Amino acid sequence: MSEVFAVRNIRLCTKDCLCLYVCPTGATDTENSVIDTDKCIGCGRCAAACPSGAISMAPKELPPQQAHSDAVTAAMDALLRSKTEQERTAAGLPGALAAAIERSCRIQAEDIVREAGYMLPQSGNARDFLRKLIDNPPSADFPKAAAEKLLERLPGNEPKQEKKPVKTWKCSVCGYLFEGESLPEDFACPICGAPASKFTEVASR
Amino acid sequence: MRKFVCSVCGYVYDEAKGAPGAGIAPGTKWEELPADWKCPLCGAAKTEFREAGAPAEAPRIARVAEDPADMKELSALEMSALCSNLARGCEKQYKAEEAALFTELAQYFKAASAPAKEPDMASLLERIDRDLGEGFPAARAAAETAPRDRGALRALTWSEKVTRIQKSLLERWKTEGEAMLANTGVWVCTICGFLYIGSEPPALCPVCKVPGWKFEKVEGRAQ
Repeated sequence: MSEVFAVRNIRLCTKDCLCLYVCPTGATDTENSVIDTDKCIGCGRCAAACPSGAISMAPKELPPQQAHSDAVTAAMDALLRSKTEQERTAAGLPGALAAAIERSCRIQAEDIVREAGYMLPQSGNARDFLRKLIDNPPSADFPKAAAEKLLERLPGNEPKQEKKPVKTWKCSVCGYLFEGESLPEDFACPICGAPASKFTEVASR
Repeated sequence: MRKFVCSVCGYVYDEAKGAPGAGIAPGTKWEELPADWKCPLCGAAKTEFREAGAPAEAPRIARVAEDPADMKELSALEMSALCSNLARGCEKQYKAEEAALFTELAQYFKAASAPAKEPDMASLLERIDRDLGEGFPAARAAAETAPRDRGALRALTWSEKVTRIQKSLLERWKTEGEAMLANTGVWVCTICGFLYIGSEPPALCPVCKVPGWKFEKVEGRAQ
């Protein structure tokens, strides 16, 4: 089983259609411009053949999100609060400038919440967020079905965290993060070779 | 002869060269430029320029005055931004149906959020000023602490610049009102939120450098 699959950015596609000739399984030959993921074997020949760079190889399993320190998350959360409050104020004001600021604040808020830890829809915290909403709907008209469908359609990419909480240790030499239930005594950092004594436990989120 | 750099887009005003394209003769001193002179590239106010080579101003970092107990719960509008962000995350993975579902949640939370009490432009400007003076420097300091959080720093760099443009436009609005948008349009960069006043969008976003077709024109609200 290949770990990557091909995706086509139709905006860049110049219809040279070399991908059709090189694909061994016919995955690129579709009516709707989307490469058939069931047929794609991840060989990468289409991406290499495309003269306009419209095909790239995407990983099947997404890597875990970047970890953020508690201080960074708290500061980003405070900015998220501020930007959404600005959005709220602008939404209550007439005129095109207020409408533009409302929109601009939302785009900033999205980017800030991304870096406050909600980057991947498949991440553990995004799934926890959806689960809480399903368990405790904020109102009777909450679109529960949408949240349930999302949980079903977006499998988590952090299987360890969903089973039981894991602890994280950080290498004080190179910053490598080790995750697990415990840090073995004879552990050596796979990046810099530092021994287990150079590792300190960090608060996991 | 000195040089002044725009803190939003990096445009350099060189006193020796002036800005002949904008009718500013070579040799025009910074002080001689009118107070309402704007960055010819991004439209930032003159006050957003810093002299090249001048030492950076020490940021005044005060703790952001939010009630910590209150911060534990996300507001409806924050949940809306969280969902519309995850919708974008799905789009990037070519998952159109999942993106539509997150958008549905985002719209639910936006509709469920309480309207602002007595909104006005002055309180908006006040909040933006506070972010520039406290919120951004505090977040930047946290992200600069080893190990440097490059993801957070990227978002902060863009957002701070966009916030400076918002400030420039709100300051202009104070004196000019809605007339500042007469016979022209206002455009928003859908990637970083940068705002641009003009009949056409810029060729490139001055903040995040995406091409002009990623800008959307914002129309006024139907009142």
